[in-house]
Formats: sequence, C-alpha cells, structure tokens
Amino acid sequence: MGPLFNAGEPWGLVTALVIGIAFGYILESAGFSSSRKLAGIFYGYDFVVLQVFFTAAITAALGLVFFDYFGWLDLSAIWVNRFYVGSTIVGGAIMGLGFIIGGFCPGTSACAAAIGKIDAMLFLGGFIIGVIIFDAFYPLYEGFYKADNLGPVKIYESLGMDREVFLLIFVVFAIFAFWATAVIQKKVSEKSNKY
Amino acid sequence: MSDTRIIKKRYIFMTVVFVGLALLLVILPKKHASNELKPEQLLQEINDNTRYLSTDEVADKIIKADRYFRLIDVRTPNDYKEFHLKGAINIPLDSLLNKDESGNYINADILNQDLYINVLYSNGTVYANQAWIILRRLNYKNNYVMKGGLNRWIETVIRPVRPPQTASRKEFDIYKFRKAASMYFGGGTVAVPAAEDNAPVPVIKKKASGNEEEGGC
Repeated sequence: MGPLFNAGEPWGLVTALVIGIAFGYILESAGFSSSRKLAGIFYGYDFVVLQVFFTAAITAALGLVFFDYFGWLDLSAIWVNRFYVGSTIVGGAIMGLGFIIGGFCPGTSACAAAIGKIDAMLFLGGFIIGVIIFDAFYPLYEGFYKADNLGPVKIYESLGMDREVFLLIFVVFAIFAFWATAVIQKKVSEKSNKY
Repeated sequence: MSDTRIIKKRYIFMTVVFVGLALLLVILPKKHASNELKPEQLLQEINDNTRYLSTDEVADKIIKADRYFRLIDVRTPNDYKEFHLKGAINIPLDSLLNKDESGNYINADILNQDLYINVLYSNGTVYANQAWIILRRLNYKNNYVMKGGLNRWIETVIRPVRPPQTASRKEFDIYKFRKAASMYFGGGTVAVPAAEDNAPVPVIKKKASGNEEEGGC
C-alpha cells in the first residue's frame, strides 16, 4: 500500500481534501466547533477534548504498531517531526494562550467557521494576520526557530524503553486520565449546580 | 439510569479492548527488527563517492597520528603479514560476517561504532568496496574506503612521480607532501615493511611553505 498523499501530485491534493473533510466532519460530530466545549478543559467542566484526542492517539498508536507487526506498514519510512526544543516550548505556549483566549485551535476554528460561527471567522482572520506577521519578521527569529534540533526523537527511544511496553503504559495512562477527568468533571458540575 | 449504565458498559468494553491489545503487543514474540539498509538507499550511497578517502588523506591522517582514525585491512592474513599500513587491523573480507557462539558478529565492536573513522583498504578498490557494501547493508556507519587501495598507495605515497614543469602549483604541493610522506613511510622499495609504532617520526608539514626547488610557477 503506497502513501495516500504525495506532495506535488495533483491527485494527492484531492486525497488531502477528502481526508480534510472527513477530519472536519469528525471534529464537528465530537462537538469541537463549540468554543465553550473546547475551553471546558481549562475550567474543568468538560474534558471531551482530552478524551477525544487521547482516544485518537491510542487508537492510532495501537493500529500503527499492529500494522507494522503484520508487515502492512513500514514504520521506519514514516516521517517523524524534528524536535526543536526552544521553538516547541515557545510555540506551544503561544498556541495554548491563543487557544484559551480565542476558544479555538486552528483546525476547530475552520470547522466552526464552516458552520457559520462569527467568532470563529474572526479567529481565522486573526490566524491569517498572525501567519503574515510571522512571515514578515521571520529573519528576526530564524536562528531561534531552527536551534536545538534534536532530530526525530521518540519518547520510548529517549527513555531507553521497549516500544510495546511504552505503548501499554501510555494506554493505561490514557484510561486513567479518562477516569480522573470524569471524576473532576462530576465534582465541578456538582459544585456549579449548587449555586 | 439505564442510559448511563449502557455508557458505563461501553467504557469498560473499550478499556478492556485497548488494554488487551496493548498487552497482546507486549506478549507477542518480537518481530525480528530488521535494521538493514533499504536497497534503494544502498544503491544511492553506492553511487555517490563520499565513502572514498584518497591515499594522500590517509597518509596525512597516519602522519598526524589521528587518534580517531583506524585502518582496516580486508586482505588475507598472509597478505597482511607480508605488508600492511601502520596501525591497520586485519579483518579479511571472508571473515567479515563471522559470528561468536551467541550469534553476534564478532567484528561488530570495531565496525559498528561512532567514535572512530574506519578506513577499509585492499590491494585495489574492489575488495574494500565489497566489504563496505556489506557493512552498509548492515547499517554500520563511519566506514570508508581508501580509493585505489595499496596499489595507489605505492604509486602516490611511496613512489610519487614528479609532475612536469608545466604542472600547477597545487600539483607541486601535492608532490611535496607525497615526497615527505614517502620519506616518513620509508619509501623507495615496494616491499615496504610496516612501520613500527616506535619508529622515529620525522616532522612533516602538509604544505611546505616558501620557495623550494620544486616550485613550479
């Protein structure tokens, strides 16, 4: 089975469009086009974001490792993002700040704009302005942006762990997170019901 | 009430599925993790010439006693006994993949590491290249090939030929270096014994400065 998407191939863009629409549909079905739901994770009344993403992560991880085991997929041929320490930390902080101020992350804002939410359209506008500013001043922080490249590190490799053992621990941790967030959510909603 | 019970049941079911699958992966016998290089990448590396070091570069490294530079002689032990370069280790091509009792490659410690630069050589380039291809296939790094092998070594380092008067300055520089290297390695005869480690080391500069008689321009 070849790659579904090849950069530079016209049909690759069509595949990307189909995958993108499917992604948007799933985001919308999960209720991710509501900024109240998204911001709920920060206030403790709704953890659906964490639950959906953790489920997606463990499903994908288990699927990939099984596919690799059966020889259907060559995991070593898959591109792994490079870990730029400084820009990851700063970028993550900016992203989190934007998330809590705007109530969306980039993907969900497109989703919400598509169903006609005005705040999401404004968010998308700000997002585009941000991209233009980033591009205009790029030479200023290019050095920082590209510094400390640790390469395609994987957590289990840097811990010196077996991939399968790490995956098991990750799955158990995810399930614990589901349970813990359910408890917190219950407590927070009980508290807010009191008043 | 019954709704929440169904949801709870669903969660328990999913938990069992996820943990069960992850446990299965841990229990399943390990798939032999093939670390070997893909044929396409091997072909690409064979076609680029970055694995080659010239005899001059090798001579320079030996003279400078570079600690992280190691020569590997892939010829037969008899050939090695007759003549080998200073400090070279003998790993004959046919014993490259020899294994110990527990099934590990006995030469892996020398050939698969990231501290030293290993330079393989044979009489020509062919055997050293074959050894290099096998090592790359095993995905061993830091192995190089001395281009032209010992034959080129004799031609260039041991018996350098003086370039014609019309040659460029650069060629004369190379010739000067080779002359000096030739003295260092005790050149003059083909049956050169391997220089001993404690042999007197003449001071040699790679680029002799100033106006010596060989000056070409």
